[in-house]
Amino acid sequence: MTNLALLTAYVIVISLYVNLGIALYGIFARPSLVKKLIAITILSDTANAFAVLVGYRWPREALPRPPVIPELPVTRSVLEEYMQSAVDPLPQALVLTAIVIGLAVTLFIAFITIQYYRLYGTVDVRKVRRK
Amino acid sequence: MVKKSDVFVAISIAVFVLSLAYVTSLGGLGPLPPVDARKIAYAYLNLTYNPWQPFLTAFALESVTAIIWDFRGLDTLYETAVFYGAIIASIALYRGVKISLSKKEWSKLGLSPIAKTVTRLSFVLIPTVAASVALHGHLTPGGGFQAGSIATVVIVLAIIIFSRYFLPKHGVSKNRALLFRSIGLMGVGLTSIAILLAALALGTNAYIFQNQAKLNSPLSFPARVDDYTLGGSLLFFNLFEFIAVAFGFTIVFLLLSVSEEEVRKVVTRD
Repeated sequence: MTNLALLTAYVIVISLYVNLGIALYGIFARPSLVKKLIAITILSDTANAFAVLVGYRWPREALPRPPVIPELPVTRSVLEEYMQSAVDPLPQALVLTAIVIGLAVTLFIAFITIQYYRLYGTVDVRKVRRK
Repeated sequence: MVKKSDVFVAISIAVFVLSLAYVTSLGGLGPLPPVDARKIAYAYLNLTYNPWQPFLTAFALESVTAIIWDFRGLDTLYETAVFYGAIIASIALYRGVKISLSKKEWSKLGLSPIAKTVTRLSFVLIPTVAASVALHGHLTPGGGFQAGSIATVVIVLAIIIFSRYFLPKHGVSKNRALLFRSIGLMGVGLTSIAILLAALALGTNAYIFQNQAKLNSPLSFPARVDDYTLGGSLLFFNLFEFIAVAFGFTIVFLLLSVSEEEVRKVVTRD
């Protein structure tokens, strides 16, 4: 593993934590439901990026490859090389599931927020509470 | 004037994030980036396309799709159900609202003829890309969900470039989209039990979500036709999921493009 890979990993991890902080701030401290929705999407994307990062790997003697077998027919040597260099596909699969469910929830919250605006004339939770 | 509660929230978020970062720096996630994959990753990578273990492999070239629709297929079925439920809930919020047609000359609405002509071209190109992503989902990165999302770009473009009356005028209605979406979901459901139904008819054993033949159940989806790798049931799952997701999103964007006045009439019962 080169120093560049290590540096990249540090930069990614630090920026993910900054993202996490921003997302939590948005969810807890911003009164607008729209801002909260944006913050929730940032939070879920941060969590997904973390999962993918954990599934990433930098093999000792090869460059990391996506989990797709590049050639047919699949011989034993192709399979062996694939197993030695491909990144972990499981977090990617779980993240895909999480993205779909996150999207479904986001859609629903977006519709609810629009409905709030129609009924109360505002999406500020402090004003909604007083009404 | 800074409120006490704001300070409290800021400090607690900072403490939370910093303590998580400290755990990571101690090696809570292992070395980053990891050098070795986990054992389960090796198992999945090994069984994605493995002619020497025909009872365990998925015969697809893409491991992520193999996991999503074969190894952990039931997860994905429930995930699709969640997605379905969320869109049903969104439709329920719009109950009673009709997507009306314009009384005005709708072709005069929208952006300039240049934008419209370019968009008409992309009406052919974007679904082509989407179909290729869906049908190659078991060979290259991609799959049903991604393809469905790509296809929905057409709907968004149509609403923005041609105005919201364009789609209803051309027969894209909420109920029709709901019908196609249900067909897609029924396809996903039927594919998951297709082998089981065939086994019941033939009097042999089978599993739900079976793709390739297992040790005690001999039936399987075709893994290859001539020179083409089909990935067994993965091709069908990707295709039906593509239909379901594309039309699900179509419903969402149709609802979002409804005139605010019409919705308010229904919501406030004027």
